[in-house]
Amino acid sequence: MITMLEACGLRKTFTLHNQNGVVLNVLDHVDLDLAAGEMVVLKGPSGAGKSTLLRILYGNYKPVAGAVRLRHDGEMVDIVGARTSRVLDIRRRTLSFVSQFLRVIPRVATLDIVKDQMLTRGIGDAEATERAAAMLTRLNLPEQMWGLAPATFSGGEQQRVNIARSFVAPTPLLLLDEPTASLDPVNRDVVVELIETTRKAGSAMVGIFHDDAVSSRIATRVMQLSPRKAV
Amino acid sequence: MIEEAPLLRAQNVTRLYGGRVGCRDISFSLWPGEVLGVVGESGSGKTTLLRSLAGFEPPDEGAIHFRHGTEEHDIYALDEASRRAMMRTEWGMVHQNPRDGLRLDVSAGGNIGESLMARGDRHYGKMRARITDWLQRVEIDSSRIDDSPQSFSGGMQQRLQIARVLVAEPRLVFMDEPTGGLDVSVQARLLDLLRVLVRDLHLAAIIVTHDLAVARLLTDRLIVMKDGHIIEEGLTDQILDDPHHAYTQLLTSAVLSA
Ligand SMILES: Nc1ncnc2c1ncn2[C@@H]1O[C@H](COP(=O)(O)OP(=O)(O)O)[C@@H](O)[C@H]1O
Ligand SMILES: Nc1ncnc2c1ncn2[C@@H]1O[C@H](COP(=O)(O)OP(=O)(O)O)[C@@H](O)[C@H]1O
Ligand SMILES: [Mg+2]
Ligand SMILES: [Mg+2]
Repeated sequence: MITMLEACGLRKTFTLHNQNGVVLNVLDHVDLDLAAGEMVVLKGPSGAGKSTLLRILYGNYKPVAGAVRLRHDGEMVDIVGARTSRVLDIRRRTLSFVSQFLRVIPRVATLDIVKDQMLTRGIGDAEATERAAAMLTRLNLPEQMWGLAPATFSGGEQQRVNIARSFVAPTPLLLLDEPTASLDPVNRDVVVELIETTRKAGSAMVGIFHDDAVSSRIATRVMQLSPRKAV
Repeated sequence: MIEEAPLLRAQNVTRLYGGRVGCRDISFSLWPGEVLGVVGESGSGKTTLLRSLAGFEPPDEGAIHFRHGTEEHDIYALDEASRRAMMRTEWGMVHQNPRDGLRLDVSAGGNIGESLMARGDRHYGKMRARITDWLQRVEIDSSRIDDSPQSFSGGMQQRLQIARVLVAEPRLVFMDEPTGGLDVSVQARLLDLLRVLVRDLHLAAIIVTHDLAVARLLTDRLIVMKDGHIIEEGLTDQILDDPHHAYTQLLTSAVLSA
């Protein structure tokens, strides 16, 4: 068993300085271990802190206490204290975050968005194009759309561009925040298959899925989070 | 991939205007290839800091170190001529108002050519080719090469200024509100251009902006300034999504969609 991620003693509060200094106590003493080939599904009611936990694992939110170590270039690295360039390098090659929203980059064509990570990692242009095209086709995004920037696409189409980009050459660690939300059943099944294939190929994942049928199909383990109260 | 020594180090940089604080006690390091954003409302000291960092105005206290090869230079301890030479070859400044960074009495091509000549290029044919190449890179039709920048729109002037700075192949560029006076649609085009150039040339950059959407798109790390001080600093998406300081929370809540 190869450990890909170990989070321990995570605590997260938000202090809302401009709302009378209210302190939200969201996570306390949260531990999570993740091995290659695992899919841990986070469960809990809305507001329980599922997205907060994923964002801490990504280095996007800063925990008040605790550490997040993940396997990068063969060694365990703490992402919480890492310097910016290290975090960005980790995100380029080891760790990705897939949400239901595509952060659109103005003017960049769909095909180029899907190719970008592959090119950065040194995959040749021809191979990157071929793989990107195959992935977009699999996600039912017709070729006429590939040359366009996704800014004008529908929410569901943007969501599939985002998934194509993340799964075309998946990183060893993936964090999924409701990637199937609002997809039609056909495309949802494609995404579920992609997740399964990627996991079996050895990626480790933590995911949030609003749909119980989806999560029971893909989870190898479930982690329950319970909501906390304001202090 | 990760280069260990900082390219630039600001150490307790303080600049006062009489009794008034321009910026006070600013310290940070910038690594090669890193894009740092400086955000904060008008009057928070962003321009003052940038001008000190870029060699235009010595700080009243503190120092700015720039690494050249294995050596670090305190840029204001250098003699004027050496500092000017570094300003021409090692870093460049994109001013908010393109008129401050361009020679308006010289043609568009001449503006780019001057930068090449300032670093010692003399071969006319090669220079002409590089000028044409750079006009294309900043999306200015090469048929405009002999036109005066006076006849250009604001967005074109800004792109020309960027070409004039980047053609010299600096390792670091300073930009003060590079999209400041431009229409939104013109801004988007310029931003995408900057994003691609910074990445392809592996440039380090310090970008002053009050626009958090610009910061999100272009920068890796952010410094938040208020009243001349740094009040919060970190990874750009962390500062924007999980701001800790009351002032940063106010700034980010004003632009929820940033
Ligand atoms: N950036 C933030 N600033 C302040 N509060 C936040 C922030 N992100 C999340 N929260 C709060 O943390 C709690 C948990 O939210 P979240 O992690 O999104 O829950 P879930 O994903 O389980 O629905 C909520 O009360 C939410 O309002
Ligand atoms: N040349 C100057 N003379 C006097 N005061 C100045 C001068 N330049 C800037 N200041 C003052 O220094 C402070 C910081 O200004 P500045 O660096 O221009 O801020 P920003 O770029 O963030 O808007 C402000 O209070 C401003 O009035
Ligand atoms: Mg959530
Ligand atoms: Mg200013």
